[in-house]
Amino acid sequence: MPTIKMTSHLYRFFPHLKNRTLSTPPGSVAEVLSAINDQAPGFTDYILDEQGALRRHVKVCINDTIVIDRKGLSDLVQDGDTVFIFQALSGG
Amino acid sequence: MDDQQLLRYSRHIMLPELDLDGQEALLNAKVLIVGVGGLGSPVAMYLAASGVGSLWLADHDEVDLSNLQRQIAHTTDRVGQPKVESAAQALQALNPETRIIPVPEKLEGERLQELVENVDLVVDATDNFGVRYAINAACVRAKTPLVSGAAIRLEGQVTVFDAREETSPCYRCLYDVQEDEQLNCATSGVLAPLVGVIGSMQALEAIKVLAGVGTTLAGRLLLFDATRSEWRELKLPRDPDCPVCGNAR
Repeated sequence: MPTIKMTSHLYRFFPHLKNRTLSTPPGSVAEVLSAINDQAPGFTDYILDEQGALRRHVKVCINDTIVIDRKGLSDLVQDGDTVFIFQALSGG
Repeated sequence: MDDQQLLRYSRHIMLPELDLDGQEALLNAKVLIVGVGGLGSPVAMYLAASGVGSLWLADHDEVDLSNLQRQIAHTTDRVGQPKVESAAQALQALNPETRIIPVPEKLEGERLQELVENVDLVVDATDNFGVRYAINAACVRAKTPLVSGAAIRLEGQVTVFDAREETSPCYRCLYDVQEDEQLNCATSGVLAPLVGVIGSMQALEAIKVLAGVGTTLAGRLLLFDATRSEWRELKLPRDPDCPVCGNAR
């Protein structure tokens, strides 16, 4: 099963995901995000826009590679992969 | 270098990776630091201490009491002063040999481009996306290396964009963010040493670029999570459709 991790900031909005190993069935990025939403309702509302694309300040990585297909979310997440979700920071 | 300089920079010079040539490169280097706040303070202090020849400090803000928790170039008795003047005092006390050029203005347009073209490296230590995009575009046009850092709450990010390299991504390849998605330290908070960690990393990368030492972060993005004291490294490819550096421009 893929393992899901995310930036600490996102745990503020979904505190019940914190300090637990989060995993989903393998599939496309869209399917993985949908599976996270099943465990944390509202999750996709936070990171996806009305068209189902990643919001512009959000990034998804499979292992150490940033997902390029932000609209179709078609990249495949396989068993053993780690999906990491983070967002743009501007503070200086 | 004279005897005083050889002594001052001796701990650099004894590093085989840096040596005399590397220190000479730092002494001759010109760097623009945009933002002299939480990140810009440690960046400017380490670059001045390291002997970087000329530092342009750009910031249109004044020192506020709420800055002092983390912006270590400023002091209580300088509250109300322009940040660039306050920082210049700190840097001159640290290393009077470094030439400090305060730029107490909001850099944009031709003025920004002119300064970026005049230096060897730019450090982005600003706190909003609009300025970050402008700095990035100017650096891509001028082919000037850019060391980019950001820190807020308990998270930081740092990378290098080197437009001299054909395959190097730029800031816009990474982020396309609207201003209304912006968070800042005034509303979200920031843990004091976090800006020191990220700012020090920016100074480190700047020195590596200037002196030609080691492997820089170009093409890689480091994320730091202070709650876990955990670093994560991500590959950062160039976006061929990037409107700033890609085929779409």
